[in-house]
Amino acid sequence: MSLTTALSTALNGLNVAQAGLSITAGNIANAQTPGYVRKTLVPVETLAGSTAVGVQISAVNRILDQYVQAQLRTESAGASYADMIASMYSQIQSVYGSPGADSSLESVYNDFTSALQALKTSPDDSSTRTAVISSAQVLTQSLNSMTDSLTALRSQAELGISNDVTAANTAMQEIATLNQQINGSVPGQATTAALEDQRDNYIDQLSKLLDIRVVKGDNNQLSVFTTTGVQLVSGPQAAQLSFNAQGAVTPQSQWNADPTKSSLGTITLTSPAGSTTDLIASHSIGSGEIAAYLTMRDTTIPQAQAQLDQMAAAMASALSDKQTDGTPAGASPPDGFDIDVGSLLNGNSVKINYTDNTTSTQHTITLVRVDDPGALPLSNTDTADPNDTVYGIDFSGGMASVVTQINAAIGSTNMVASNPSGNTLEIVDDGAPNLVDVNSVTSNTTETSLAGGASQLPFFLDGTTPYSGAFTGAGSQSIGFAGRITVNSALVADPSALVKYSSSTASGDTTRPNFIYDQLVTTPLNYSPSSGIGTTASPFTGSIGSYLQQIISQQGQAANNATSLQQGQDVVLNSLQQRMDSNSGVNIDEEMSNLLNLQNAYAANARVMSTIKEMLDTLMQVMQ
Amino acid sequence: MSVSGVGAISASMMQSILDMRKQLDSLEQQLGTGMKSDTYSGLGLSAGLTVGLNAQLAAITNFTSTINTVGTRVSIAQTALDQMTSFGTDVQNAVSQNGYTLDSNGQTTAQNTALSDLGSFLGLLNTQVGNRYIFSGNAADQPSVDTMDHILNGNGAQAGLKQVIDERNQADLGDGLGRLQLTQPATNEVDLSEDVAGSPFGFKLAGVNSSLTGATVTGPSGSPQTVSVTLGSNPNPGDTIQYQFTLPDGTSENITLKATTDNPPGPNQFTIGATPDDTADNLKAALDTSVRTLASTALSAASAVEASNNFFDNPPQRVSGSPLSSATALVNGTSADTVMWYTGGTTTGSIRSTATAQIDQSITVSYGTQANEQGIRWVLQNIATLAAVTYSPSDPNASAAISALDNRVNANLGVPAGTQSIQDIETDLAGAQSSMKSATSRQQQTTNTLTNLLQNITTVPQEQVGAQILAMQTSLSASLQVTAMLSKISLVNYLS
Repeated sequence: MSLTTALSTALNGLNVAQAGLSITAGNIANAQTPGYVRKTLVPVETLAGSTAVGVQISAVNRILDQYVQAQLRTESAGASYADMIASMYSQIQSVYGSPGADSSLESVYNDFTSALQALKTSPDDSSTRTAVISSAQVLTQSLNSMTDSLTALRSQAELGISNDVTAANTAMQEIATLNQQINGSVPGQATTAALEDQRDNYIDQLSKLLDIRVVKGDNNQLSVFTTTGVQLVSGPQAAQLSFNAQGAVTPQSQWNADPTKSSLGTITLTSPAGSTTDLIASHSIGSGEIAAYLTMRDTTIPQAQAQLDQMAAAMASALSDKQTDGTPAGASPPDGFDIDVGSLLNGNSVKINYTDNTTSTQHTITLVRVDDPGALPLSNTDTADPNDTVYGIDFSGGMASVVTQINAAIGSTNMVASNPSGNTLEIVDDGAPNLVDVNSVTSNTTETSLAGGASQLPFFLDGTTPYSGAFTGAGSQSIGFAGRITVNSALVADPSALVKYSSSTASGDTTRPNFIYDQLVTTPLNYSPSSGIGTTASPFTGSIGSYLQQIISQQGQAANNATSLQQGQDVVLNSLQQRMDSNSGVNIDEEMSNLLNLQNAYAANARVMSTIKEMLDTLMQVMQ
Repeated sequence: MSVSGVGAISASMMQSILDMRKQLDSLEQQLGTGMKSDTYSGLGLSAGLTVGLNAQLAAITNFTSTINTVGTRVSIAQTALDQMTSFGTDVQNAVSQNGYTLDSNGQTTAQNTALSDLGSFLGLLNTQVGNRYIFSGNAADQPSVDTMDHILNGNGAQAGLKQVIDERNQADLGDGLGRLQLTQPATNEVDLSEDVAGSPFGFKLAGVNSSLTGATVTGPSGSPQTVSVTLGSNPNPGDTIQYQFTLPDGTSENITLKATTDNPPGPNQFTIGATPDDTADNLKAALDTSVRTLASTALSAASAVEASNNFFDNPPQRVSGSPLSSATALVNGTSADTVMWYTGGTTTGSIRSTATAQIDQSITVSYGTQANEQGIRWVLQNIATLAAVTYSPSDPNASAAISALDNRVNANLGVPAGTQSIQDIETDLAGAQSSMKSATSRQQQTTNTLTNLLQNITTVPQEQVGAQILAMQTSLSASLQVTAMLSKISLVNYLS
């Protein structure tokens, strides 16, 4: 081996040491850069025959544990889902106020019942009456503002989805672009490693937004799928997500798979080939921040809203609903009852209780008045009673049409409906065959007059109209009622109606105050299971106070569960992150010792060169 | 929230420092507010329980304030009722003095006492607690009774008590015989009969006792009722005949006539004549005198008492017919022709139930009172009777009439057995008071228990938080110290 060969070998050594220095410098400089993966130099010897004649850089390695990385991405979707859910729940919690605080829903409700109690004791006192009205107003206003807060949270979720979709699009686009760039560059180059770092960084971002799976293909290309298998990025091509935000969100807003019925935005994926998929309808997003927003927007907040709506509806109905028993039908047999349906409002009902004599079982049928055929058919869960069969009857076509519809509905029970006169509805049994007996026919109407002669009164209104639980094509009147409930303005103008149920009622008469108090404080009421409290088979029954207790308890527990989930996820994520960091992160100590080594190597190579120079000089001098 | 590692500080170390800082913050907040959490979720599983406890506590607070309000009303009502009773006793004492001296208004000292007591009594009935008239039943925003002036003297077209007494007096006295008729169908027969069967006015014949020798005495019988005395022979001196009468107020009076040989006879005596026919004439003349005297004294007093009863009745009863002296029926007075003394509310149910209060989850007390309750009205109407009647100093029977009225009022104010007295009302109210008292002590205990429980759930003891903060501070500063030390142990610091 000649001196010149040795010289070039030493030069190689110098180069490699220099390159190593630049890698170490890069590592140290990027020690704090998120997503930076530690690089190492892979030197290989250059052989001439069997002799090492030099050294060269074979590749720049990224120190990466792909298994940990994949796991980290899965968990980071879960963690950002849990984070977002926990943060939204804590915002929902703030809607209910602090425990026992003056402005909390429970305190406001307790104040109202206190005022009612005082009214029972001093019905004649005008200041007591005014106190009832003003505390009722505080209660309705607090229900209104809670609805506003919940709606604002929902609209925040809608906005969040919109922002996340934009961020996801950027990330997907960047991943595709980087795929393309990496495809064109030589593997093992420092620049390629940097591109891969960037690509991983975007994938990490995307994994926070939704749950993804990354598949490595030929030519170091990465394809990204959702965990359910929808392709988001395929090599250099990215799909496009779009979100059609629907403007103002109201309590009535609802997502629907049918775009014509949906009043909330949906996420549509357009593949590079141009086909579109509704990601919400296909349940393609299972985790990540977007899934958290969707859960909040479509499930959690509507449920919290439904709880307030049920409470508002229970308060209004408990005071205004009036039951009237039917009178025995004129000609008998067949036996049955007559009931006046003239005063039924949309949402009011007629309940028929009958015994099927073939099986000796009692059944209940509820006929509900609707004015909009679009609301039909109704479901059995549209009333809080778990044991009735519900039929919606369209009253817009007059009594003849009503009777036809009722007969169509109850025909199979052998009962017969007719309209003997005016607004009277007659329900009779089958007479001689005696297959069925009608036990009772009761109407449930909404009192609309403050001095109707009975204890019932329209204390609370839906804006300016009575609350009768009406059904329309747009849904039930109960949805968002908590946001619209008000104290009847006629009652505000004349609080004496709290006592006087007719013009001759004495000022100290406690009949109506007792009724109001009992209905709102002690009487057990039924609540629709749509609020998540109680089930269809056994709906929650209790006073309004105990329902409120259920709401607070259920929401508090849900928030707690969300927080525990978040803490659990954080622990998992942190330990993974730590493993990732200890593996791929920059350790300054290690880099420093590398630096020493490189410095020594450089010095040694330089020493070799200077020795060779001396030897060559010596040789030259000999030559002279 | 996960944290990416920064340099030498590991992610988990940073996370635990952040967690500690967060805990320290929340402990600080607990120390500041004394509350465990500012959200329901922070209370954990007890969130629902606190709502229930708060509702229960609020309910008890309501009951307590109800008991305070109602307690005041009831104790004021008790005081008023006590005073009403004492007015009754006061008037009783006054009439027992038997003073017959009339003042310039034609009234005795006892009557003056009654008049001033009547004013105070009516004032008491209009007692207000807050804006509430406690003796007005369910119309607590209206005064219970009209003014004394209206009640005694009338108001425009509406007749007052004095007018009602006067009219009844005319109807009861008739032509002076107290609506009785004295006839002689046969020369030896004297018949005393009521003028109209079923008339509520005047004397009613209740019986007759005779020891007249040779006389046939029948009755009272027939319609109208008649007592017939036929003298078959002359009675012996000292023989007597006693007529018994029932007066409009339900009291009884007798007239006993004694046969005598004196001529002229003394009071309540009749002279035995030469023949039974003569004796019958004498008997009739004596009876006429005695009945007239009794009518202008006892009957007049009984009439005033009954007239007052009519006036204070609901609806008031007025004499119907013209002239009044021959009236035979009473009719309902209306607010057009009679002062309605009671202006509060009326009820078809129990009077106590006109004011109720829920003092506990399932305990309701009733404490309504009305000025027209039997117990109150009875005392009121008797005092009013005494206050309304006037006498003429020139009336020879004035003393007897005053005495008759005084005796009746005195007896009535003793409250006849079997009718409600003011004490009965007080007993009812005392029942309500004792219910409230026991509810209060029960609620006090419940409140203590519930408050304790609630505080255990929602509040944190300052000492505990203080200790926790100290512990947390120590461990946080230790962590920070270690972190700082670790970050110093770097090769960088040792390379020169």
